[in-house]
Amino acid sequence: MTDKPPEPSPSPSPPPPLKPLSLQDWESLIDDFQHGGARRDRWTSAHPILIDQALSSLNKRDFPLKLQLIVFLEEFSDPLFTSDPDSLPKTLHRLIETLRALIQTPADGVHVTFALKEQMMLSVTAIVIAADYMLDGLVELLLTVINRPNHGFDRQARALACECLRELEKSYPCLLSDIGGHLWSLCQSERTHAAQSYILLFTTVVHNIVAKKLSVSILNTTVPLVPFSAPQVLVNSSGKESSGGLNYKELRRAMSFLLEWPQVLTPCGMVEFLALIMPVAMALELQASMLKVQFFGMIYSSDPLLCHVVLTMYPPFLDAFDGQEGRIASRLMLLSRETQHHLVFRLLGLHWLLGFSELVLRREVRKLKAIVDMGLRFYPSVFDPLALKALKLDLLAFCSICVDMLKLEGASGEDTGNDKLVVKVFQDGLVSVSAFKWLPPSSMETAVAFRTLHRFLIGASSHSDNDPSTTRSLMDSTTFTSIQGMLVDLMLECRRLVPVIVALTDRLFGCPKHHWLGERLLQSFDQHLLPKVKLDYTLVSCFPIFDKIAESDTIPPRGLLELLTKFMAFLVVKHGPYTGLRSWSQGSRVLGICRTFLMHHHSSRLFLRLSRLFAFTCLYFPDLEVRDNARIYLRLLICVPGKKLRDMLNLGEELGISPSALPSFNIQSPMSADNIKKSRNISSYIHLERVIPLLVKQFWSLSLSSFGFGNNDSGYLEGIRDSEPIIEETETDSSSNIYISPEAERIDRPQEPLRVMDAKISEILVALRMHFSCIPDFRHMPGLKVRISCSLRFESDTLSRIWGLDSPTGVLGELDALPALYATVLNFSSSAPYGSIASYHIPFLLGEPSRKTDISDQAASLAIVPVENGSGEEESLRAPVMIELEPREPTPGLIDVSIETNAENGHIIRGRLHSITIGIEDMFLKAVVPPGIPEEASPGYYLDLFSALWEACGNSNTGRETFPLKGGKGVAAIAGTRSVKLLEVPSSSVIQATERYLAPFVVSVLGEPLVSLVRDGGIIRDIIWKDEASDYALDITSSGTDFDRGPLPLTYTDDVDEMDSLVNIRKKNVGCFLILIFLPPRFHLLFQMEVCDVSTLVRIRTDHWPCLAYTDDYLEALFLA
Amino acid sequence: MPDGCSIRAIWILNSLDAVVFSRRFPVVEKRWRGACKESSTDGGDLNDTVFPLLPSDSELAAAFVDRKRREGSIRGCGIRVSQSAKGSDSWVDDPITRHIIGIYINKEEEGDDNTNNNLLWPLVLHRKGHFSILVLPLAEPRHLKAYARLCNRSDCGNAVGVEDSISSILLDLPSITGAFMAAHAIGDIITGDVVEPEVVVNASPSVGGLLDSLTGSIGISSISSRAKPVAAPVATSSPSSSAVIGTVTSDANKTGSRPFDKDTLRTFISSSMPFGTLLDLSFPNIISIKTNGFASSDLPPSDLKQPAWKPYLYKGRQRILFSIHETVHAAMYDRDEIPDSISICGQINCRAELEGLPDVSFPLIGLNTDKIEVLSFHPCAQVPEHGVDKQAVMFSPPLGNFTLMRYQAVCGVGPPIKGFYQLSMVSEDKGDFLFKLRLMDGYKSPLTMEFCTVTMPFPRRRVVSFDGTPSVGIVSTTEHSVEWKIIMGGRGLSGKSIEATFSGKVQFAPWKPQTLPSSSSTFGSITDEDSDIETDGNNNSMVNVEEFLMEKMNKDLHPADLEDPFCWHAFNYAKVSFKIIGASLSGMSIDMKSLSIYPAVKAPVESSTQVTSGDYILWNTLGRCPAAIAATKV
Repeated sequence: MTDKPPEPSPSPSPPPPLKPLSLQDWESLIDDFQHGGARRDRWTSAHPILIDQALSSLNKRDFPLKLQLIVFLEEFSDPLFTSDPDSLPKTLHRLIETLRALIQTPADGVHVTFALKEQMMLSVTAIVIAADYMLDGLVELLLTVINRPNHGFDRQARALACECLRELEKSYPCLLSDIGGHLWSLCQSERTHAAQSYILLFTTVVHNIVAKKLSVSILNTTVPLVPFSAPQVLVNSSGKESSGGLNYKELRRAMSFLLEWPQVLTPCGMVEFLALIMPVAMALELQASMLKVQFFGMIYSSDPLLCHVVLTMYPPFLDAFDGQEGRIASRLMLLSRETQHHLVFRLLGLHWLLGFSELVLRREVRKLKAIVDMGLRFYPSVFDPLALKALKLDLLAFCSICVDMLKLEGASGEDTGNDKLVVKVFQDGLVSVSAFKWLPPSSMETAVAFRTLHRFLIGASSHSDNDPSTTRSLMDSTTFTSIQGMLVDLMLECRRLVPVIVALTDRLFGCPKHHWLGERLLQSFDQHLLPKVKLDYTLVSCFPIFDKIAESDTIPPRGLLELLTKFMAFLVVKHGPYTGLRSWSQGSRVLGICRTFLMHHHSSRLFLRLSRLFAFTCLYFPDLEVRDNARIYLRLLICVPGKKLRDMLNLGEELGISPSALPSFNIQSPMSADNIKKSRNISSYIHLERVIPLLVKQFWSLSLSSFGFGNNDSGYLEGIRDSEPIIEETETDSSSNIYISPEAERIDRPQEPLRVMDAKISEILVALRMHFSCIPDFRHMPGLKVRISCSLRFESDTLSRIWGLDSPTGVLGELDALPALYATVLNFSSSAPYGSIASYHIPFLLGEPSRKTDISDQAASLAIVPVENGSGEEESLRAPVMIELEPREPTPGLIDVSIETNAENGHIIRGRLHSITIGIEDMFLKAVVPPGIPEEASPGYYLDLFSALWEACGNSNTGRETFPLKGGKGVAAIAGTRSVKLLEVPSSSVIQATERYLAPFVVSVLGEPLVSLVRDGGIIRDIIWKDEASDYALDITSSGTDFDRGPLPLTYTDDVDEMDSLVNIRKKNVGCFLILIFLPPRFHLLFQMEVCDVSTLVRIRTDHWPCLAYTDDYLEALFLA
Repeated sequence: MPDGCSIRAIWILNSLDAVVFSRRFPVVEKRWRGACKESSTDGGDLNDTVFPLLPSDSELAAAFVDRKRREGSIRGCGIRVSQSAKGSDSWVDDPITRHIIGIYINKEEEGDDNTNNNLLWPLVLHRKGHFSILVLPLAEPRHLKAYARLCNRSDCGNAVGVEDSISSILLDLPSITGAFMAAHAIGDIITGDVVEPEVVVNASPSVGGLLDSLTGSIGISSISSRAKPVAAPVATSSPSSSAVIGTVTSDANKTGSRPFDKDTLRTFISSSMPFGTLLDLSFPNIISIKTNGFASSDLPPSDLKQPAWKPYLYKGRQRILFSIHETVHAAMYDRDEIPDSISICGQINCRAELEGLPDVSFPLIGLNTDKIEVLSFHPCAQVPEHGVDKQAVMFSPPLGNFTLMRYQAVCGVGPPIKGFYQLSMVSEDKGDFLFKLRLMDGYKSPLTMEFCTVTMPFPRRRVVSFDGTPSVGIVSTTEHSVEWKIIMGGRGLSGKSIEATFSGKVQFAPWKPQTLPSSSSTFGSITDEDSDIETDGNNNSMVNVEEFLMEKMNKDLHPADLEDPFCWHAFNYAKVSFKIIGASLSGMSIDMKSLSIYPAVKAPVESSTQVTSGDYILWNTLGRCPAAIAATKV
């Protein structure tokens, strides 16, 4: 702060080059300054010029914008005057001279008005203060203005001059301390309405003297009022030299003078006055009761400001107001009832009451009793605005807290009644917004009600203290119990409120302190809500809260899962023609909750019930998509370890895929060239292997590409109608033509089927017809399937290395450390006639740990994976893959495998794996037993069928017959072929191999020695055992070819050697296996294995001659290997 | 330096959120900066202690619009809802934040975004007409910091009765209260409805206000300050105002707002709050001083100080007028489980045309009963420290009309209108209704009911046709209501009670679901859930057409405002309006004979009473109704 002697007013400097501003220019200039930003910035450089022009405009007599201009200079004094510190003193002096001239000019009512004079005084003072450049000249000028008490027409100007001086005194404390005596006498003599300003000015001076502890005398008038010079204390700026202490006596006198006049003050003036008086009263140790007597009545004023200012007296003078708490509270409560007031003041009144109660609370809990006793008066009334209701409910909540505190203090007698009281207060209070129960959840009533609920819930526990006991005691409180009961009832009655309640729990969950409260709420919902909900379509409205319950891992999933299972059952039962969409939507949402369970709980906790739920859904749910999803979830639950599963389910959420949708199988990342390169030798570390290796290692296949696959009706006769068998036969395709057999040629000719036959043949025909009617016609329905079980595995190391997967760090289990493949799809294709092969999906697969690489390699080279070797863990590292073929022709072949899968980092891995070899033995199936045959009769049936087929394949008689297939559209004919194979192996190994590989296909064992050898093994079961060789001989050679009596009538293999050997063998015959193998789609392979001690003769008959080629190899591999 | 009520700045925004007026107070601003500097040297890290300077008009408007967007409306939510964001006002979860707002100033020039430090609070928001008046009072930096903590807290919202709550901040800051007072005064000025309390003398037209008392004695009775743009008397006297009016109109063309007299406002501001510190908010006083000034003949009293709130002394014929106004609020249920609630808000308005500075005192007769509770007195009344003694009230009257006292009472004689209203929807669009009312039951002369009208509002339905004749009175319909005039002006009902019945049918246009304005959807996206549930419910439980209709109509019900007591549209009710003269219903009266004036003068005393209806609601007995537990009197 600088203080310079007032310089003589310099002559106005010539106007700067900027052209003089017109009125419009000034207006837009003021506008620009107020608008700010760029519009103001463009004037920045012109600041000094602007001030200059402004000052000269103010000096003009008839400038019409003077008022606006001076206010503008005041408002923007900061940028305008401070921009040029050098010229600041000069400018300010010019300004004061302008003011002086204006004040000295008598008002003419036109160009010089009191309004202008007053505004000029105010603004110049403000500019000087803002510029922080104290000028004695200004003070002196103002003092001359006020030094005319009771003067008639300039009283308002004098009042404002007092305000200017007061503002200066406020900014430069003790500026006027030396002339306090003069001010006091002025104050005493002034009797117009300006007295308020004089009083306030003097009070401010007194206040500052007390605050600075100056030892000046305020009675002393030796220092003249004018000319004014700033006191020493201000110039020295330290103000510490006054060691004399306060002049208490004089100051007390001044105070008692001042306290005489509060009734002349306006409410605003009173606020100023009290703010000044209170510190003085404290410093002078005046009796607080004096102030109280003087001012406490103001609390009954209808002016909110006065009311408020009384409240500010409470903290400094606590003792004086002791015992008044009840009165203050009741007054504030009445303030909130004054409907004449604007709402905001009623709200403020309640806030003051709350704030005031906090003050009391901090001081002494007991004192609150007066306020709490009023509790019942805080009930909102019907016509209170909702904002007011909300605050009144806050007050009720506060009272209920106080009741608890008073109880702890022992201040209130009855203990049991209090809890009930709190609950009653809560419920009664809520009546005023009770419409929230039926209004839309977005209504304001709902918001207010739940806000209150939250207040009551958290009760006294603040967020600052770390003491958990508060929360615990909170949870045991009656309030909490009744609120949770109320919430349960609400959810049962008003379904629309469930989301709001969810939002409430969310709010609690989001809070570190009250997290447990939310947890507890959910637990009680789990306990109390679940048993009460009605099991119908409306249950869906509770799903949001169920979802929350599912998320919480402190709640055992049992109850909810049981409920959901029941609900699924309900959906299944209720499903009808009109509920399709609903079943789908609600079923999907149930699965959504299950998914939440999967994500937040340990699988082991859920496994049993959840898998049951999923299984039930897969099996019975009417909607396909829900079934599918349930199946996927079930598979995930079973296959994927917990953490991986959660990661997997979570990823979808991050990508914003709806929870009820499938897990995140649809992450796409573009396939880069890099990836293609990486995918090239994928088969070296991702392996798809057969579980049961083939007997025949070498692979060869008859490449009879001219027939077989590619021709969709290979080997089939298509029947259109039974009455037109001719057409069926003409459609016999090329493959049939290659059966170079007289029978086939005969079939080609239109010829009546043989109708006349003996009883035996007709028996055979009946058996065959029955058999063929069980064979599905693959052209019209799903054909018989051949299943090849394989397993997929991959080497973690290699995969991670090539695809740059980081093994997750800090994982707990070893399983978690392994990389995984997600959503693997295996696609199969084959050049062999296997029809279309369905692709196979593996949701999740873990890699094999690196240390097992050696073993794996070995295993791979052996291509045998013994099932019993794999421990549980290993099992989980291999995904079972079932390749389902629907062969058009029973032939070996290769299946090409391509893989498409996702690595953990989102890469898509595509590539080809090694092909899978399919051998002839894969085609071996058991013949279908017609549905009419009971289980215990099936061995007999098989034997009969064997005999019939044996006969049919050996005898041309049946060749003309056609047998309709299942479905009634297609018919088949039998064109048999015979063959024999002599195997020079001992009987024991024959029996062993048969038991191992062909046991399911054996339909009968003949001959007592063999029967006794095999029967006890227990491997071959449920067949027809015949002890007597003669019987079988009769049976099987029903065509009349008795091999005991003469050579076999073999069609192709009639040669002497064979005959001889046959004769030789016969001598040591042990017995005979009859084996019936069905080859899909409709062919058969029959073995009659006559087992002798050192060799075995296999008689072969088939209705599909190409298979003989592989049979040979197969038998050799089977017995000779 | 202790501070009363200081104001840093004032802004007035129009309906387009453009600033049409602004005023900054550099002295207060300097004090604020000093306090900030002090608080930063007091400790605390530097980030907390850098506070924004006053924004320019454009920055403020932008920040205001930004808040409006964030909070969903100009006032905001007030209550923490699911859309509330951390740092916003509604996060504080208190309805007062609809009135005391915080905005975040984005400095255009400053590149670095230190979002913590640009909070401008407490900004007092007052809506008047289509103007938003923003007043920024001076608070201490610690208050601002405390509020910033409140609206950035990460927990679930504060409990009641703890330290640093918004309540204790508000209790600490009289400047906020002062800012509201200033904002309301400004609002009345710019919309031109500065209304003085009404003083009625024996059914003659109202007696005017302060200007009347100044001018009435010299016969200029045409100038009445009541309900008239205040600019009028000023424009005639101030020479500079003509030039200013030019700027205002050009401004108005730009912003499309209704022009208001900026010059009057400037005058008011510089007199009522020079330097930004509140001194006097009485607009009539200020404007009289500015208009009339003082003459040398206006002598101050010889021995007393003339109060600041009474700059002029009355001269002329002396008299005192009292006028008791009571407003009856009632919720009539006609149900066993809910008692009817009737309450009376009353006030005594006064006009004392007395010379000098006399004290007036008179006993309050009605106050001795338990039925009446005094709410507040005019500041001119001298209330003893221990409160109202219920015997006498003493006051030193100011000029013009003023409200001496406000009180609350229960009805002494029973409700003026008793009975019930039943509306039953026989189909979706057709309703049968029945009124059975008894008027002035037990009321004796001189109580006179001047008029009585019953209105059935149907704000959400369109009335197509109407059928029925009342036992007394006439019926008219508008598009959204049916109005039944039982007693019409001119033929008052006095000294007897009558019964009025009215049954009829009303036919509405078919219900069309309204599409809600998008703003309401901010209150929750739960509706899609509902659709599923509703269809479920309809199959079995909806037996009642009325309930079904309710459900249907409630779906697109616009949520009530926090300023409303409840969602009016959700209920069926009839509203009664009436006026009763002759005596008060509470029993409040003024004993004119006991009135004494000191120093004693002979002045005639007149008094009058009128009772009008406030929210006098007959709830449909067959429908839902809002209720509350009665607050018991201690």
